[in-house]
Amino acid sequence: MGSPSSCGGARTRSFWPLLLLLVAFASSALLAQYQKAPPDFGGSYSFPTPTHPEPRSGVALGIDLVLLAAGLGLGAYLVLGRRSRAGALALGVAAIAYFGFYRKGCTCPIGAIQNVTLSLVDPRYLISYTVLAFFFLPLVAAFLFGRVFCGGVCPLGAVQDLVVLKPKRVPETLDRWLRWLPFVYLAVAVFFAGWGIPTVSATGKALSGRRFVICEWDPFIGFFRVAGPFHMLAIGAAFLGVGAFYARPYCRWFCPYGALLSLASRFSWKYVRVTPDKELDCGLCAQSCPVGAIRANRADRADCLACARCYETCPRDVKLRGGDGPVELELHRRTAEAADDVHPAEPGS
Amino acid sequence: MSENSSRREFIGRVVGLTALGGAAATLIARRASAHAVFQVDPGKCTACDLCRTACVLPMSAVRAVNEFSKCGYCRLCPAYMDVTSAPDQLGIPSGKVCPQDALKRRVVGREDPDDPNNNYYEYTVDETRCNGCGKCVKACKPPAGNGSLRLEIRYDRCLTCNECSILVACPEAAIVRVAAPGLSPVAAAGEHGG
Repeated sequence: MGSPSSCGGARTRSFWPLLLLLVAFASSALLAQYQKAPPDFGGSYSFPTPTHPEPRSGVALGIDLVLLAAGLGLGAYLVLGRRSRAGALALGVAAIAYFGFYRKGCTCPIGAIQNVTLSLVDPRYLISYTVLAFFFLPLVAAFLFGRVFCGGVCPLGAVQDLVVLKPKRVPETLDRWLRWLPFVYLAVAVFFAGWGIPTVSATGKALSGRRFVICEWDPFIGFFRVAGPFHMLAIGAAFLGVGAFYARPYCRWFCPYGALLSLASRFSWKYVRVTPDKELDCGLCAQSCPVGAIRANRADRADCLACARCYETCPRDVKLRGGDGPVELELHRRTAEAADDVHPAEPGS
Repeated sequence: MSENSSRREFIGRVVGLTALGGAAATLIARRASAHAVFQVDPGKCTACDLCRTACVLPMSAVRAVNEFSKCGYCRLCPAYMDVTSAPDQLGIPSGKVCPQDALKRRVVGREDPDDPNNNYYEYTVDETRCNGCGKCVKACKPPAGNGSLRLEIRYDRCLTCNECSILVACPEAAIVRVAAPGLSPVAAAGEHGG
């Protein structure tokens, strides 16, 4: 490729003539010697034009963005407004279908960290509006409504949410330490996306060594594409296996975008609340939370993944939906207390 | 929730959203396009076969494309026939270069029914068969051919990943990012991730 200044002026509609021109330029000496001119075919013949399929249209990209924004809004409405677990689940399934299997996992906000980093570090790097919007929209939503992106819009999260079979509690101290991992991963990913370790290729070319580590180690994209390198599929299977018992391990202990969202959601305007004036402090919500985000009967919005399981089990909500009456509620409370006695809470919780 | 902490939260929210807006505005002002896609720079491409294997798709999004107007219409197309294979009775190499049999040809102009070697052919790549290995591209490179065959990332197949894994794998840094619409080449920021 020639220097950017040599082709910057000629912004033609078609990329190919330009590239071919550059090729011809580069190898003009060779071509002058060897090029064979088209012969006389002895009949009427005109060269066909090779087809060049257009990239995904602006309209299609716009639909992606609208669906992302709508998903975030709908997630906030279903989880915070309707307190609907079924709604969050349905949204998650829809996200798996569209952003997962249909769009095959790209573009995703998690990977967009790297594009944004690279374009901040290197002004020459061109970033597309789609990637920008995918990076910023869920963060804005986190400032407003908490991690609704994690709750039902992120296909990676939704896949893990579907396999939560028998969630077990992780000791809180361990959990607290593990929750630093996403920040470490974020730092590593940002370093490799923006700077990297310069290397030399097999043919002796100097390479910048920039890598998009998050994309290379994405656990679930292989499933969405029904293809992928072995290490990716194996890691994905491992995450799903672990995820059956320790819910959403990637989201809690690895996801670098989750690290950013947890920071943003510390300041969120609306979020999943377990409040003393509304709820009963029976502790059922804490037991139902598969990601251990309810501590001392209060939801920690930095860790809450907005799955609405707590609302689903809340006796008050059950009552509103026509379930158990107050007597049963008291029984629930006692059961919860008994459970707490068996597994005393970690100190400092 | 005390009034103090809720005020702190409000400030945090405002500061955070402003920071996000600022970052977004900086990036848009600096270098943003409607869409950025990847493409093979035929000038750098050595048809090393990594396009076939490095793409995240089970069947790579890269295909060979014949630029008909550049074709030299060689008597013995080195990209079609394997010139190292044993010749048949007419002296034409019996083997084909394409392992997928994806390079098809048809006679153009006058046809000599007796000597297939005395005809001009139009070579077309069958996209459903081509796997982007680039054997034909390599064989067509000057001086043997005109270089009319080249590898292209087909946008009806390409997923436009955040980062193209062929770009990462390419030893010649021949995968470039281009701005669509317009598809004018853009400077690659380093070889990787650019």
